[in-house]
Amino acid sequence: MMKFLSKVGEYARDAVQAAKYIGQGMMVTFDHMRRRPITVRYPYEKLIPSERFRGRIHFEFDKCISCEVCVRVCPINLPVVDWEYNSEIKKKELKSYSIDFGVCIFCGNCVEYCPTNCLSMTEEYDLSTFDRHELNFDNVALGRLPTKVTEDPLVTPIRELAYLPKGVLEGHKADHRERRAGKLPVEIIEETQATTGN
Amino acid sequence: MKLSQGVELVSLLVLTAMVVAAAMGVVLSPSIVYAAFLLGLVFLGIAGMYLLLNADFVAAAQVLIYVGAVNVLILFAIMLVNRRKVYREVKLGAVRQLVAIAVCVSLFALLLYTNLNTVWLLTPEVTALPSGIVTLGQHFFNEYLLPFELASVLLLVALIGAIILARREFVPDRGEENLELVERPKELVAVKEE
Amino acid sequence: MTGIDLQRSFIDLFSGLGIDPEVARVMWMPLPMLAVVTIATVGALAATWLERKISAAAQQRIGPEYAGPFGLAIPAADVVKLLIKQTVVPANADPLLFVLGPVIVFISVFLSFLVIPFGENLVISNVATGIFLVIAISSIAPIGLLMSGYSSNNKYSLLGGLRAAAQSISYEIPLALAALAVAMMSNGLSTVEIVEQQADLGILSWNVWRQPIGFIIFIIAALAECERIPFDLPEAEEELVAGYQTEYSGVNFMLFYGASYANLFLSALLVAILYLGGWELPFPIDKVAELLSIPETNPIWQVVAAFLGATVILLKAFAFIFLAILLRWTVPRVRIDQLLDLGWKFLLPIGLANLLLTAALKLAFPGAFGG
Repeated sequence: MMKFLSKVGEYARDAVQAAKYIGQGMMVTFDHMRRRPITVRYPYEKLIPSERFRGRIHFEFDKCISCEVCVRVCPINLPVVDWEYNSEIKKKELKSYSIDFGVCIFCGNCVEYCPTNCLSMTEEYDLSTFDRHELNFDNVALGRLPTKVTEDPLVTPIRELAYLPKGVLEGHKADHRERRAGKLPVEIIEETQATTGN
Repeated sequence: MKLSQGVELVSLLVLTAMVVAAAMGVVLSPSIVYAAFLLGLVFLGIAGMYLLLNADFVAAAQVLIYVGAVNVLILFAIMLVNRRKVYREVKLGAVRQLVAIAVCVSLFALLLYTNLNTVWLLTPEVTALPSGIVTLGQHFFNEYLLPFELASVLLLVALIGAIILARREFVPDRGEENLELVERPKELVAVKEE
Repeated sequence: MTGIDLQRSFIDLFSGLGIDPEVARVMWMPLPMLAVVTIATVGALAATWLERKISAAAQQRIGPEYAGPFGLAIPAADVVKLLIKQTVVPANADPLLFVLGPVIVFISVFLSFLVIPFGENLVISNVATGIFLVIAISSIAPIGLLMSGYSSNNKYSLLGGLRAAAQSISYEIPLALAALAVAMMSNGLSTVEIVEQQADLGILSWNVWRQPIGFIIFIIAALAECERIPFDLPEAEEELVAGYQTEYSGVNFMLFYGASYANLFLSALLVAILYLGGWELPFPIDKVAELLSIPETNPIWQVVAAFLGATVILLKAFAFIFLAILLRWTVPRVRIDQLLDLGWKFLLPIGLANLLLTAALKLAFPGAFGG
């Protein structure tokens, strides 16, 4: 009988403890309800991409020498370089250049190895289309520059956490033109040059 | 009160047709699942009939117990044990049919006899009680106490039987087969008090 | 009978116009049904909106925002979307049972609103079996779930349907036991009687103080009946895709979706009626009327009191819905064995003990426990 009673008591204690823990959990959930939302209302507000953001690739037709380094360093040999040898000037003449962004993984190897810097990465990332073939950008499409988030009148630009002014922890509360916390890369370079003296 | 009588008559006819049709469906349907669902319809129709007889509590109990519990358990059993067996004719076909006919005819005769020898015409007394629940309770605990208690004892026996069947320990071992579920004993986790 | 009586006013009005009272009665009949179906639908839609908004708040999101003010048009948009979507019946499914399943679930939930009172006379039918009828009707729903699970020709659906039926028949018993203890105190099963028995002292006479154990049992069992987290095993995404509703789309899915939220709203209203004093305000409103020396038959006062009562019961119901949503983002899902353990080994014995305790208290203190 005593064994049974102690068992019942133990069970009751367990139940009370479980109820207590659930109550604590509920308090945590409830506490979250009064915090401000951390989400960005995307098409109307956009985060400013960081400096080394690897977005859609930009291509400058006139700089290209048709060396095909980009094709060789690409993990899947993606860029299509169409050139013809012009025997009069003894040079390759580029006819067209295209990258299919439905297949590209945005690794940036082509940008890294391009000898004439005709490839660069932009901050464009919203590449949605109705047809996957539209993602195959030719040299004209690759030459277009994306609209900057900060210059688009329809969009409220919002900074990411690392780029916020000192003391501000939320993108909505700071203007994107305010100076961010910490030193800028330019200042660091200047300082090191001043101290080393060269 | 003409309108309400008309409504009552139409509901009675609809319910009767529903119950008879569904009951025929239960017997004649080749699919056992359909038969089980139609059985639920029969129970619902009977509940409707109770409702027409002003027995609202009995109707609700009919729905709760027969539709909500019995029929669901039947469906459960059908869906969990879904073994398809080829239907085999039982031998002695003629004898079987004769026995079936005899049983059916005698059952029908019994019902007919009861039907003809009962005085159906009652002058309904409109009671002032709010519902049949109070009367029902009084009857249960005065005149019909013994059958009531016996029924509960019967249910208790069934309950205990089910528990014994469900508990593996009481089933004798069948040869080398070990049917016991190997379960880790519940370990007590020490919880630090704040 | 105090309080507003719309039926009598309506019949009196039409009798005054020279229409037979019997005919006026027939003309009255569909009106409250329509009203209650509308209330149930709007309540369910409001519950879906609250679910989205509160879930978003609990996860530090915004939730629906652009469809109407505060995203209030989102439920309507949902309904329109589901209505115009294609209704797919999978190959080799049983088309008849496949369509019938959600219909049965939907009807069984909406039929229960028959006895839910929003005021003393604001109820379709004050039947004497009241709360028992709700429990009985809601026990039909598992048949619809089994039907849709079986007919979908999908193992996840079948398992989901079986789980749903097992869960709902096991949790019906503690639910009924908790409701029975309340019925014992109010000497009747009628929902109106149960509320009126809690009317004397405002908030102090609510059943939640006299039935704390029953209150907790009822809440847990009601959550399990609604298949909400932590008891949403029949729809456990990780295991069963979506349980019995896996194969459903369009209107049929809408019936399931609507029925589940209407069921939540129904359970919330039941909690409010059984334990939180229904349409009674936290202070006795009749006493206030006496204090202000307003006669009980004053029509304006009657309308104001009825309006206040309906608002209060809805507030109580939505407080429960809020709790359920908060619980959804707090606790993890239980396993099936834990679920059945909780139902049969914890809630059932405690419910029985609670019933015994209530009976004993009722005999010992007939004044406080409705002798």
